[in-house]
This record gives sequence, C-alpha cells and structure tokens, in this order.
Amino acid sequence: MAYAYLFKYIIIGDTGVGKSCLLLQFTDKRFQPVHDLTIGVEFGARMITIDGKQIKLQIWDTAGQEAFRSITRSYYRGAAGALLVYDITRRDTFNHLTTWLEDARQHSNSNMVIMLIGNKSDLESRREVKKEEGEAFAREHGLVFMETSAKTAANVEEAFINTAKEIYEKIQEGVFDINNEANGIKIGPQHSTAGGAAGAGGAGAGGAAGGGCC
Amino acid sequence: MDFFKSGLKTVLGAPEPGHQPSGAEIVERLVDRVNNSTLLEDRRDACRALKAMSRTYRVEVGAQGMDTLKQVLELDRADNETINYALDTLNNVMSPTQFEEEENNPRVPMNIGEQFTEMFIKDHHNIQLVLDLLDEYDFRVRLSTVQLLTSLLTNRPKDIQEIILVKPMGVSKMMDLLGDTREVIRNETLLLLIKLTKGNANIQKIVAFENAFDRLFEIVSTEGYSDGGIIVEDCLLLMLNLLKNNSSNINFFKEGSYIQKMLPMFNTPEETEEAGWSPQKVSNVHCMLLIVRTLVSPSNSAQIITSCQKIMKNVGLLDALCNILMSSGVPADILTETINTVGETVRGEVTNQEFLGNVMAPSNPPRPAIVVLLMSMVNEKQPFSLRCAVLYCFQCYLYHNEMSQAGLVQTLLPSSTDMSCLTSGQLLCGGLFSSDVLSNWFSAVALMHGLIENPVQKEQLLRVLLATNIGSSPVSLLHQCTLLLQQTTKLKSKVALLMLLSQWMSHCPAAVAAFLRAPGGVGWLVAQTCANEHDDNEVLLQGLCALLLAICLHFNDDSVENYSKESLRQLLTKRIGLEVFSSKLSEVSRHELYNKAAKHPQLRAKLPADVLIDYEFCRLFKVLESVLIQSLSGPQQNGASSPAPERGSPDSGTLEQYKTLIRQQDARLQELMAQLEGLLQQNQSLQGALNDSLSANSLLKDENTLLKAQVSAAKSVPSGVQVPTPSQDDVRVEYEAKLQTLAAEVARLSSELKTSQEGQKSMGEELEKMRKDQDDLLELLADQDTKLNDYKLRLLSLGQAVDDDTPAPAQPPT
Repeated sequence: MAYAYLFKYIIIGDTGVGKSCLLLQFTDKRFQPVHDLTIGVEFGARMITIDGKQIKLQIWDTAGQEAFRSITRSYYRGAAGALLVYDITRRDTFNHLTTWLEDARQHSNSNMVIMLIGNKSDLESRREVKKEEGEAFAREHGLVFMETSAKTAANVEEAFINTAKEIYEKIQEGVFDINNEANGIKIGPQHSTAGGAAGAGGAGAGGAAGGGCC
Repeated sequence: MDFFKSGLKTVLGAPEPGHQPSGAEIVERLVDRVNNSTLLEDRRDACRALKAMSRTYRVEVGAQGMDTLKQVLELDRADNETINYALDTLNNVMSPTQFEEEENNPRVPMNIGEQFTEMFIKDHHNIQLVLDLLDEYDFRVRLSTVQLLTSLLTNRPKDIQEIILVKPMGVSKMMDLLGDTREVIRNETLLLLIKLTKGNANIQKIVAFENAFDRLFEIVSTEGYSDGGIIVEDCLLLMLNLLKNNSSNINFFKEGSYIQKMLPMFNTPEETEEAGWSPQKVSNVHCMLLIVRTLVSPSNSAQIITSCQKIMKNVGLLDALCNILMSSGVPADILTETINTVGETVRGEVTNQEFLGNVMAPSNPPRPAIVVLLMSMVNEKQPFSLRCAVLYCFQCYLYHNEMSQAGLVQTLLPSSTDMSCLTSGQLLCGGLFSSDVLSNWFSAVALMHGLIENPVQKEQLLRVLLATNIGSSPVSLLHQCTLLLQQTTKLKSKVALLMLLSQWMSHCPAAVAAFLRAPGGVGWLVAQTCANEHDDNEVLLQGLCALLLAICLHFNDDSVENYSKESLRQLLTKRIGLEVFSSKLSEVSRHELYNKAAKHPQLRAKLPADVLIDYEFCRLFKVLESVLIQSLSGPQQNGASSPAPERGSPDSGTLEQYKTLIRQQDARLQELMAQLEGLLQQNQSLQGALNDSLSANSLLKDENTLLKAQVSAAKSVPSGVQVPTPSQDDVRVEYEAKLQTLAAEVARLSSELKTSQEGQKSMGEELEKMRKDQDDLLELLADQDTKLNDYKLRLLSLGQAVDDDTPAPAQPPT
C-alpha cells in the first residue's frame, strides 16, 4: 500500500497499435485479442520496485482516434512519463510519430520522459518497420526505445519499469521538482514528512546527506 | 438612486430639458460610447453604467451591447476595472435567475438568460476569451470570470462542456483555481466544477487526473470533515459527480487509496451525540454515504464492487458504518442511508456479510444487529423509508451467500427453537402473519431472499411448523401461507405470498407437492386466473396466479395423485385455455411497478403504495416465463420431450434441402473424379513421350561427338583431301579464322621480342659505357689518394700536425 513515489504515465499513439493491451498486460498480466475501442481515457495502476523503493504507477491509457485527440491533450501536462506506441506491422503508425511527438512536446512539461515503443514484435512475418528505424527515430529525438509484444508480454514489464527508472534518475539528479504535483510525481505518505522537513531542497539532497553521515 | 442618476448624467451629459430618455435610448447611447470613446476612462464609465442598467434593462443591454462587451474583453484586457464591469454586465445579461427588478416586467421572457447564452456561445472564440481571463490574477476579474462561466454552464451545460473539452488546458485552468489561496475564489470554483463535471465522463476523468481528489480531501480535512460547513458538502458533491457511473475514476479512487481517506468522515466523536446533528452535518454525512454507495453500487462491474468492498472492510470503513448504525441520536434519514450503504458494502461479499452477521447491538440483552434491524422492519411505527432500507440491507446480507441463507432458515426449524431470545426467523414469521400489510410484504420478500438459488433451504423450510392456536395441531409454514393467500383481502399481501411461493416452489418438486396437498390451493389459483377484471393490479394478480399454476405443472414430480402433471395440464387447458393462460402470464411484465422493480435491486419506493414487486422476483419471472409456457403447450405428457416432435415438421423441409444439396455435391464429385482420371492418363502418356524424346536426344548427342571427332581427324589431313561437306566447310572456315588470328598473334609477339632484344642491346652498351666511366673515376681517385699522401707528408715535414682520421676541413678540389 505505502509507496515512496507515485508516477503518472500516459500511453499515446495511433488507434489499434495496442495501447490498451499493453496496459492490460502490465496491470493484469493477460492478453485480450479483441479489445473495444478506448473511449476518451481509461485508468490502470500497478506497484513496482526500483532501487528497493516501492513506486506506484498510475497509468492513463488514451484513445488513439483522431476524434479524441483534443481530450488526450489535457493529459500531457500532468504526466511524468509517456509511452509513445506504434505498430511495427503498420508503417503509417510509425510515420505519424512526429505528429504525436510534437503534440506531446507542446503540451507537456519539458521533463516528461518519453519512451518509444514498437509494439506487436511477435508478428515478425508482417513487420513493416525495421527495428533499426525505430532506434534511429528514438536517437534522433532523444527517446528511449524498445520493441514489445503485448501478446507474449515480451519487454512489456521492461518498458514500464525502464521509464520509471528514467524518471527516478531525474528525481535523483534534481531535475524534477517533486513538490509540484503538476509534474505527475507525488511523494508517498511515509516519505512526505521527511521531505516536508527537508523543504524545497528535495529528498535527493536529504538522502545524500544521510548517506554521508553513515 | 440619486447617485446613480447623477452618475448617468456625467456619463451621458445633461438630458435635454423636457425630454425623459427611455431605457433603450440610454443603453444605446452607452453602447455607442463604449464603442467610440478613445479615452479608456470614458469606456470604463460607460461599462460601469451598462452594468448598473443590465438588471433592469436586461433585454436592451443584451441585444445592443453583447458584441461591444465582447470587444471590451478582447481589447481592454489591460484595465482590470473595465474588464470586470464588462464581465459583470455579461453575467447579468446571461444570468439564469430572474432579478427582482424584472419580476413585474412582462416583456422579459422566462428563459432570457439562456437565449443570450445561446447567442454568446455561437462563436466558440468567446469562450476562449473568457477562459483566457482565468489567467488574470486580479481578484475581481477572476471571481467574475468564474461566476460568468458558472452561469453559462447552468444555461447550456452540454454545449459549454463540449466547447471547453476541446480547448487545450480548458479544464486544467479551472482546476488550478481550486488551489487559489483566496477562499472566495476557491469556493466559487468548486461550484463551477460541480456544474462542469455533471454528466460528462471525459471532463470528470480530466478533473480526476488533475489531482482533484487530493485537493478535495485536503479541503475537507482542513474544514473539519463532517463538522465543516457547506464547503465540505460542495467538495463531496464534486467527488460524487466525478465517481458516478465512471468506472475509470472509481478505479482511480480505489487505486489512489482514497477510500481510506473517507474514514475520518464517519468517525463521530461521543460528545456530538448529545449535541445533536446540525443540518449541515446531516448533509455532509449524507453526501459521504452516497459516495460510498457509488463505489459499490450494484450497477458497477463485479470486479470493481468486490475490490472496493474488500478495501472498505480492511480499512475499517464497514466497521465505522456499523458503529453509526448502532449508535444513538443519529437522525432518521442518515440512519436510513447508512443502512442502505451497509447493505451495498456487504452485498455478495462473504467476509463482509459474515462481519455484519456478527455485529452486536448494544442493547440489553445484546442482540445481533440484524435482528434489531428486522425488528424495525416489521414495526409499523418506524418510518417507511427506514423499513425499506432494512429490507434492502437484509437482502444484501443474504445475496449469494448460502451460509446466511441457511442461518435464517435455521432459526425457524424446530430443533433450534430457543424461546428465550428473538430470532430473525421468528420476526419474519410474525411479520408474515401480522395485520400490517407492509410487514406482510417485507417479511415475505425477506424470507423469499433466503431461498434464492438454494434448493437445500427450500426443502428445509418445508419442515417448519407453526403452532397457530393453542390446542390445535401445528401447521406447516407452506400450508399456512396457502391458507393466508386465500383468506387475505389485501392485494399487497397476496402478491407478496405469491412471490414467496413462486420462489419457494420453483425448482423444488417437494414444495410443489406440499402445495398441491394443501386444501383449496389449486382451486383458488384457477379461479383467480380465470377472473375477468381489468384493473391493473387485478390483472397482475391473475398473472401471478397463472405463474404459480405453471410452476405447479412444470416442477411436478407426479407424487400427488389428483394433481399429476397430466391432470393439471388438462385442467388448465379445459378451464382456462392455453392462449388466455399465456396472455395472463405475459401481463405480469407489463405492470408499471414490475418494470420499476426490475431496474434496480433496491426497492425504490417513495410511498407505501409503490411497494408491490421485488427485483429478484422479476429475475425469476424472466427466467421462468418462456420455459413454463413451453412446457404448458407441449401436447405430450412429458414436458421435457415435448420440444423434440415440435422440431420434426419444420425440419423435414430442411432435410430435403440438405438431401438435394448432398446429391448435387455427389454428382459434382463424380464429375471431378472422371476429370482427374483423364488428367492422370494424359500425364502418363506425356511422361512416356518425354522419355522417348530424351533418349533420342542422347542418341543424337553421341552422334554429334562422333562427327566432331571425325572433323578434327579430317583437319590433320592435308587440306586438299578434304571433302567439303557443308558442316565441315563451316568448321574449316572457323579454324582458318582461328589460324589467322594466331598467326597475327605470333607476328605481333615476335616483333615485340625484337624490340625488346634491341632494347636489351642498347642497355648492354650503356652498361659498358658506364663501367668504363667508373674505371676512369677509380683511376682518378687512386691518383688523388697518392697526391693526398704527398701533401700529408709535406705538411708533416713542414711541422704541421695532421689528424689522420678527420679529413681536412676544406678539401680543395683538384
């Protein structure tokens, strides 16, 4: 129940690339081949451990359809991480990445960690986008990249956890202002008393000082 | 008023003497002034005046000034005061409420605010203008903007919601205002958000995403939870909006551990018991109870309900609710709602049901809370809504729980009768046969819920015996119910007993047999079913009687001689007729109260008159209706086998169809086989031909090589001998050409050799020359050496020291 940090994620990308399936695989560890279209936004949550700390992930799975794009935009600002998903068997979903990225950069806070995900890696025979292309795109735009399969669960866990690690490192480096909840990060209940006493300096500095004492 | 007039004078200039300008004229001139004044002060004054007039002359200001005011919002943003007047004026013009100034003015239409709102939002840009003003920190401007948005939302909620939803940051901006340190703005924002989130799931989700629950719980806790003011209620109303029918947000609420945060709301300190509850506290707690119920509402998905129920039990929320239930001094409506809430918190969740079953009331002697609640249910003096709530709670307690169902029936069985203490079974039996109609109904339905999908308890309940009169032999409960059914004149009691019997006897042949043995039962049912009255309620009663008769038929195991399956069917077809019977049966689902009851597990009756049909009975009816009609119409004596022959006639046509189809397919198959045969043969012959041609081919090849050998042999012989056959001629030409090229090659190579030989020769000569040169040079060098030695000796003789190793610094050339 208790957690050290809480991170808010959003999952974005074209319709049908498997956003909801990724979330379901991550939260419920199951795959549902036929999934209804997501209307607006759906919520999911899970606890993970990083560096021995409990971290709660709150994930908002958005609708990929164009009609919901304006609604989706409202979620960028408050998110600490975003999974930008395309389908490796559909070239067009890869081609649209630039638009998604522009949208995300425009509406989110500048520190938001974006993970690029090529989903459906189990469908190798129907692949239209090479892994190298995904890697190149990610390098060019400064994203972390990974190919996943919501069906076989390959890399799904890693995708969510690596994003969290990235955010966690940014917190340690003091890049994120953890006292501003608008960044999509919240300090857990057991942390908040210590953090409050340390003040705006942040838990990172406090933790380092503590280490020095010992 | 004088001040106002003088103010107008300064703005408009002194009126012409003798002419009193009308309101419309003044408005026109003011609008003109706002439009055309170059000085900000003038525009500001005119706006102030417009604001002052906008209540009394709402139509005029709205009609003439709307565009101008929009312009002000756009162009005069730098001046907060002017903006503020413009906002207030717009707010007055579009206000959903009627001002006292216009109460006696018949020219003002009732929905004038709405009409102006419609005009205003035609251009979506206007909403953006207002939203942009939310960024303004100035108190008055911000407040007026929030109020204007609230008015707009009140008038045209759906339209404005859609517009705001597609404005980037539209909702987020409003959420930010919730953090405003100025309480007035925070509170007004709450009202705005309540309007904004009503019935729009997408906005609800964004608001939740923007940390609404955190903010709201912060406010609720700083305001003192249930003892807080109306602001707490507003917060709770907003939460309620966010959660109602929004499974995504409920999930978020659950995952975000907000259920735990509700707990302090229900912790009522001891001293308040004496002080009583303030009306505000009643409202606050009521809202909080509604939030709990929204989380575990039976209309949610089973997964959400179960997980919320478990959390509520684990964090002690259920415990806190039960404490309210058992404490004194709780207002009746809160108590009622708490009972409903406890019900839904335990519904279908075994651990929670068990927990509720173990709660003891602080009475003397201590009794189970369930018993205390049932006492209220069968007590005429308790408020109607409270009694309904207890029934619902009890139903939830029994729902999908064989243990609690068994527990209820157990209290009625003779073995466990302990006269000293009151049990739920006894209370229900008392209620069943009391003179209070509602008690009859509540008890029958409660008892019925103890039997749902539980064949064991249906048979157990048959064993229950009642001692009706002292001295007479005990009568079975079922028997007594049958008697009562015939005796009572009250519709509610009849319906209740029929529902109980239907549930009891369905899927339970033993109960059917017991009913058939009871005197007069079947006769009464047939008579009722045949009745020809057309009052809605009478028709319903006829339908219910028909249902019970059909149950007697369908679940009959032929153990009662007079009423075997077959004889019952004969009776029904002869006395009532199949068509009449099924039409009576179908009348049940047409009754208004049936449809009302079928919608929700909780009995939603405002008045005792609305109490007639139970939700679970509707479900039973839906399942049984078609089955029963089928078994009734089957002409054969065996109900189960009846569908089989029925299927025969329509099938023969289909069968014929299939037969022809198969025949066609067969013919086609034959045809294809023949085709295949032909193709195979063709293939074989072709294969043979191929082999032949292959061997011929190799033969020819051999011949060819032989000939080639002969040709080459012929070539070695002097050419004259050759017999010029055409092919040899070709070969000869070819070889001649080759020969020619080779000759040319040889010539080329020999010439090359010659040149290189010449080159070699000249090189040799050159070498010779160089050797001679070298000899000359060596000779010269030896010459020089001797000379050098001469010089050395001469130098030595001259007494000059000569270093042998180092040559003289300047060696003079000779």
